[in-house]
Amino acid sequence: MAGREEKLNEIISKILLLRADQLDDSIRRKDYEPWDSMAHLVLISEVENEFGVFFTDDEVVEIWTLADLRRVLATKF
Amino acid sequence: MSSPEAEIDELLKAVRASPTYLNLWSTYKRIKGISLERPKDQQKLLRLAVIGSSTLEPLAACIDVMARLEGFHVETFVGGFNTYRQEALATTSDMYKSRPDIVILCVDLWSMLDQKFVPSFVKLGPADRDASGRRAVEEIVSIAKTLVGNCSAMVVTNNFVVPVYTPFGVVDNKQMPGLRRFVTDSNEALEDALRSESRAFIFDLDSVAGDFGKSHITNWNTYYRGSVPFSEDFTVVLASEYMRYVRSLKGRSKKCIVLDLDNTLWGGVVGEDGYEGIKLANTYPGIEYVDFQRALLGLYNRGVILALNSKNNPDDVQRVIREHPYQVLREEHFAAVRINWQSKTQNIKELAEEIGIGLDSMVFIDDNPHERELMRQAFPEVLVPEWPKNPHLYRQSLEQLKVFDVLSLTKEDLERGAMYAGRRKRAQSEASAASLEDFLRTLELKIHVSFADDFTTPRVVQLIGKTNQFNVTTRRYTDAEVVKLRDSADSSVYCMQVTDKFGDEGLVGVAIVRKKAKEWLIDSFLMSCRVIGRSAETAFLARIVADAKKAKVGRVLGEFIPTKKNPPAQDFYERHGFKKMGQTEQGVVSWVLDLSKQTVKVPEWIRLIEG
Repeated sequence: MAGREEKLNEIISKILLLRADQLDDSIRRKDYEPWDSMAHLVLISEVENEFGVFFTDDEVVEIWTLADLRRVLATKF
Repeated sequence: MSSPEAEIDELLKAVRASPTYLNLWSTYKRIKGISLERPKDQQKLLRLAVIGSSTLEPLAACIDVMARLEGFHVETFVGGFNTYRQEALATTSDMYKSRPDIVILCVDLWSMLDQKFVPSFVKLGPADRDASGRRAVEEIVSIAKTLVGNCSAMVVTNNFVVPVYTPFGVVDNKQMPGLRRFVTDSNEALEDALRSESRAFIFDLDSVAGDFGKSHITNWNTYYRGSVPFSEDFTVVLASEYMRYVRSLKGRSKKCIVLDLDNTLWGGVVGEDGYEGIKLANTYPGIEYVDFQRALLGLYNRGVILALNSKNNPDDVQRVIREHPYQVLREEHFAAVRINWQSKTQNIKELAEEIGIGLDSMVFIDDNPHERELMRQAFPEVLVPEWPKNPHLYRQSLEQLKVFDVLSLTKEDLERGAMYAGRRKRAQSEASAASLEDFLRTLELKIHVSFADDFTTPRVVQLIGKTNQFNVTTRRYTDAEVVKLRDSADSSVYCMQVTDKFGDEGLVGVAIVRKKAKEWLIDSFLMSCRVIGRSAETAFLARIVADAKKAKVGRVLGEFIPTKKNPPAQDFYERHGFKKMGQTEQGVVSWVLDLSKQTVKVPEWIRLIEG
């Protein structure tokens, strides 16, 4: 579990250009400029590739915050 | 806060250690947020444009960062989704405004065909299929030609991936044409149509995809969600293949392979196992070394220089190289040789000097990890590839290096080996002559000076792009710029060919002169380091000065722009009687030759032939 959390944080910080201490679960797409549609696309596919999961279209659209991402990913295991 | 340069270095250090898609993308995005000044050295600046029929920012990002890893300052333009036609056709487009050095045009064959083309392919008649294929190829060719015409960039367009799946199943190659044949025919037509465009190149996407595994080149999730054409891992591979064009364009290709002997060119240690005991044969074991040597011979034959650097007893080695029945590479194939017991780092320095190229043009191949590490530490600019322990993988490792690319194979490339053999003989004869002048007199030097024409322009462009040492201004010009200078009444592009009794050196000198009524300015004057020390440059300059006199010009001006590599050309103007006019803060010195008082004479041991 700890390994998964760590890996997810690494992906988020690299794509959303955040330091480890800036990973606030309330960070919201549309409010945070680097989280544009391209970053969202890359974020989703990197998480999919890393964990061997698939996000449905609805899930992709409804991930608005980092908390959402963590919650949806948790349902895959 | 650290300086922007230090910040970028830190980011690049991390991505160099692990150049994954995620890290490359992240680094690209982070660097975009840092503002940096352009470097003064034009050769370090890379302006990249990527346009095409899909979402290409990921590919552009990977190329951008990979180029930075090789020391370039990169400015990247990425075209919008499917906007390549507008970018190419409108001469005022943002892409042209970015003044690219290289345009990567990445278009998918299927995007140019009717959406129902593939599903209805089985039902289309041969004429309809042909017509569709021709239309698609014509469209891509016309875009590529438009790009070549509208800017001075190198244009790299990909061919099309021959699909693995075909609705015909196993009889795809029984139908005429099958779907795969349809694509290979289109690829062939594309090659033929762009063959004569010297600035347009075809990226062999089909072959790169085949090597990677065609069923892995697409991530269908990102393909459908965002029209991203290539999977993450394949994007990284593609970017590294596109870098080959960048390196060739910017004169970063390697020119010389420096080889170890024992357990590299043959199996075993000749000093211990003896002439008969080493593994080198046309059958197993030993064939893997013969095969590796043949691959090296193939590179030699197209212009890559070979040299030896080995800790060995010279007599043992000489016997193998001269007499061993299965030795492929003989004495004549090596431009320079160091077989002794001194350090290989000292040896490689001497080899570079003797051959007359920079250490950064050299690749060092050695089976011994200790020697490799010593070399890397002493000379980071030498490329030292990791080398497999298993000799069965030597040939493949060599073929996977991909650092020897040139953009056009000239006569000089194909004959380079013989030129170096001639030079070794020349050096022997020099050692036996009483004085340098005596030696030069015996050479029977002939210098042929002419104006660049269609036939010689590719070599002229090549020399302008890669000559670093004997080059007074190191100005780089593209093919289009040279043609413009050549055809303009206000400038001339001279070229020089050198021959002596040991052989033909080919076209080895270029000068560009900008002409005004009262004075001529030597914009560029450069010469391959192969011919330094024979006063060829004096004869070349004499011809230009004579032309200036004929044109009733009062004076000839010259400039020297210092770089790290051009000290050999530093005293060029002074040696020929030019007077120093001034010097800028950057060290640029301007020189003048007053034609009413002075001239430049052809040395008496040189025959100047004018054409």
